[in-house]
Amino acid sequence: MVALEKPSAPTQARTAAARQPGFSLPEVFWKWALLLPATLVVGALLIFPIGFTLVMSFTDWHMFRHGEPVAFVGFEQWQRLLTDQFVWQTLRNTMVFVLGVLPLEYAVGLIVALALNNCTHGKKFFRITFLMPLMISPVAVSLVIGRMIFHEDIGPLNDILVRVGVQPVHWLTDAKLAMLTLIIIDVWTATSFMILMLMAGLQSLPQEPYEAAVVDGASEWQRFQYITLPLLAPVTVTALLIRGLDAFKVVDIIKVVTGGGPGQATESVTLAVYDLGVKGGDLAYGAVGAYSLLIMMMLFTVLVLTFTRQMVRGVS
Amino acid sequence: MQRRKTIKTVIVYTVLIWWTLMLAAPIYWLVITAFKGPASINRGATYLPFVDFQPEFSAWDYIFISQRDKVIPPFVNSVVISLGSAALAVVIGSMAGYGLARYSYRIGRMGNDSIALSFLSQRMFPAAVLIIPFLLMYRDLGLLDTRQGLLLAYTAFAIPFVVWVMRDFFRGLPVEVEECALLDGCSRFGVLWRIALPLAAPGLVAVFVLTMIGAWNEYLFALVLSFSESVTVPLFLQVQTSVLRGTEWWNMAAIALLAVIPVVVAGLALERYITRGLTFGAVK
Repeated sequence: MVALEKPSAPTQARTAAARQPGFSLPEVFWKWALLLPATLVVGALLIFPIGFTLVMSFTDWHMFRHGEPVAFVGFEQWQRLLTDQFVWQTLRNTMVFVLGVLPLEYAVGLIVALALNNCTHGKKFFRITFLMPLMISPVAVSLVIGRMIFHEDIGPLNDILVRVGVQPVHWLTDAKLAMLTLIIIDVWTATSFMILMLMAGLQSLPQEPYEAAVVDGASEWQRFQYITLPLLAPVTVTALLIRGLDAFKVVDIIKVVTGGGPGQATESVTLAVYDLGVKGGDLAYGAVGAYSLLIMMMLFTVLVLTFTRQMVRGVS
Repeated sequence: MQRRKTIKTVIVYTVLIWWTLMLAAPIYWLVITAFKGPASINRGATYLPFVDFQPEFSAWDYIFISQRDKVIPPFVNSVVISLGSAALAVVIGSMAGYGLARYSYRIGRMGNDSIALSFLSQRMFPAAVLIIPFLLMYRDLGLLDTRQGLLLAYTAFAIPFVVWVMRDFFRGLPVEVEECALLDGCSRFGVLWRIALPLAAPGLVAVFVLTMIGAWNEYLFALVLSFSESVTVPLFLQVQTSVLRGTEWWNMAAIALLAVIPVVVAGLALERYITRGLTFGAVK
């Protein structure tokens, strides 16, 4: 990297001479003035609240209990977590959602990206079409797919099932199927991200191994299995990590389609934090829920990185 | 050999067309639902206009004539908030990105790379850890249910991404041009304004569009921080499902269509930049 901070001596002399006095501010002013606004905003609106939530989780802060001072109670709120079935279930639900969504999105994403990479006509059309779901509001998608298409009485999916002679399915009121419905919606919206990442990965693959493989008489499948897949490992890890961490934060799809129901079968942690902390006013316990999600995400990151390290290293 | 090639082509296009249809089906359903009337929806699923239902315009009448005063404000809020926060985030974020690309900083033990990474790492945190302090802060600052409040929040969420992308972008620009301009007596601000920013225009467009789309579609913070005055489009859409008379699917579909069209048009027009912005830094 070239730093402009310390120009060579003659340069400094010329610069100083050329500058009009009174109009030029010293470089060190610019250096810090450029960084300061972003630091202030991020510090005040991201870093401070993140720390504040952690502190809150050790208090007994409740929104609707006026007059009483807020007290520190140590790990009392965290102990509540141990025996609270509700928050555990939301953690489990979130986990199920992430583990359901990731393999599906990766599989579909890889198949579509490979097809797109081998496509000769209309590549641009398909590429743009596949980008579209990333721009559409998740709320709108959830309403259209979750509430309209999967509607149990007037939706087209059950209508088609009935026409071909199958029993209508309880997409939203059956606990297990409701989670599947949510996973399908997420696959619709987020597979595009996988396609995008894997396409970028495929396009940056070196050509030499393929040429060598053709000379050695490797079949198309062998080339995919022994060259493409291992070489894609780094992009795969990045894509799974980014998408996985994103999927842990799921809330809008669930809030719109099932509202966490039936019962609490599809309630995610983020939705629980909203319900407990914002709606219920139990701020401290909401903070505990939020941090348990963060801990789960960190565990996920560590697990993914340890399990994939060898896979990635094996390539390079 | 020729036969194999044909089989491959068939597989490739089967996959591509299959996924295109999967993506198109909900959009098709959204569009036709926006032109159905109450009767043709509650009768059960209907698929083809003019064949099994007659298109009606009751939803559009609802939006643009009878309930205009109710429908327009959320759209105005969303436009103001998403454009405002994207502009602010791009200005503040690319300033920091430029600084991190051209100067060397030292804050405690952190050098430029650690500073940039600590910006980026803010994106990893789930919104759940933010909503409760935001509720309290905004209540005390009187920012609850205001456009400014949401605008500020979305600006903050977008800045880490803008800093990260723009830093990479500025680093890719030749530093010699800027040195020459400095020598010729141009101020640092002049260099940034006249040379660096115009050269970085593609990157600026990418981050602007992406942050704008993000703010336009954001749901959770709008839900927590607004009740009536600063309701945005996603929140307004979701509320449509809980009206007392039962969901008016046709109105909801029409509003959803209006919510989707502007960002999709902007996105498709700037597709090239967006692909670049989204995969930035991930593939090297």
